[in-house]
Amino acid sequence: MEDASTVTLSEITACFEGIVPAVIATASADGVPNVTHLSRVHFVDDEHVALSNQFFSKTVRNLSENPQACVTVFDPRTYDSYKLVLRYERTERRGPIFDRLRRDVDAIAALTGMHDVFKLRSADVYRVVELERITP
Amino acid sequence: MIDDDRRALLESPCSLVVGTVAPDLLPDATRGWAVVVDAREGTLRLLLSASAATSIENLRATGVVAVTATEFQTLESVQVKGRVDGIEDPSRDDRARFDAFCDGMVAAVSAIDGVPPEIVRRALPDDVVACVVRIEELFDQTPGPSAGARLARVEA
Repeated sequence: MEDASTVTLSEITACFEGIVPAVIATASADGVPNVTHLSRVHFVDDEHVALSNQFFSKTVRNLSENPQACVTVFDPRTYDSYKLVLRYERTERRGPIFDRLRRDVDAIAALTGMHDVFKLRSADVYRVVELERITP
Repeated sequence: MIDDDRRALLESPCSLVVGTVAPDLLPDATRGWAVVVDAREGTLRLLLSASAATSIENLRATGVVAVTATEFQTLESVQVKGRVDGIEDPSRDDRARFDAFCDGMVAAVSAIDGVPPEIVRRALPDDVVACVVRIEELFDQTPGPSAGARLARVEA
């Protein structure tokens, strides 16, 4: 069995291709959890991922109050899954990470005919403080 | 509180995801492995992987839970928030429900993603526990700007 402690983000880049939706759990400052799907988690480097911020969603509101999240991602080839514990680090509204996420959001908008609905507000960058392979 | 359509979604072999939180406010995400709604009691019975140690520990510590069910094709989604009254060993009915959920989920994912069923089955847990959730709030979670709109709330 793979040693979970040796897994790095760059070894699981297949999980960040947006083929299988990810899951994100957040919690408000008063301890109410929220859980929803994410179309894609973006690999930034071996310590960071980026998430697109499109709406004033409950997830965004929770992260402004309590800047930590738990994300699970799937490898679309093997269906192995991994848990990432994230801590919010910064927001980018221009630059290469923002441009990459905007292209992705625009592609989804084009596919669904929802240009007015899906519009990238910012690219939020998170430090990955824990990464482990999930035992089903 | 839960109409027939949303009950059918929750009880279907859908994408079922579960959020919990620890006392220090660190959230945890895991998958659910079948739900059955008791509308009269205002509860649902949720199956979690017996290996989901962090989520189970969180439920024992704080009791609060969010459960989102998403239909694979339409992405129609509903989120239930509530409080866990108890965590139990699975009953015979739970095990039958778990098996049916897994069969349906594997067939749906395999058809959509074009992945062989035996690959999808690698994601299934060996065993489950049953959580009795007292339903407190219900939200529309279908992707888009209205995601998160409250549909119903139980007044204290």
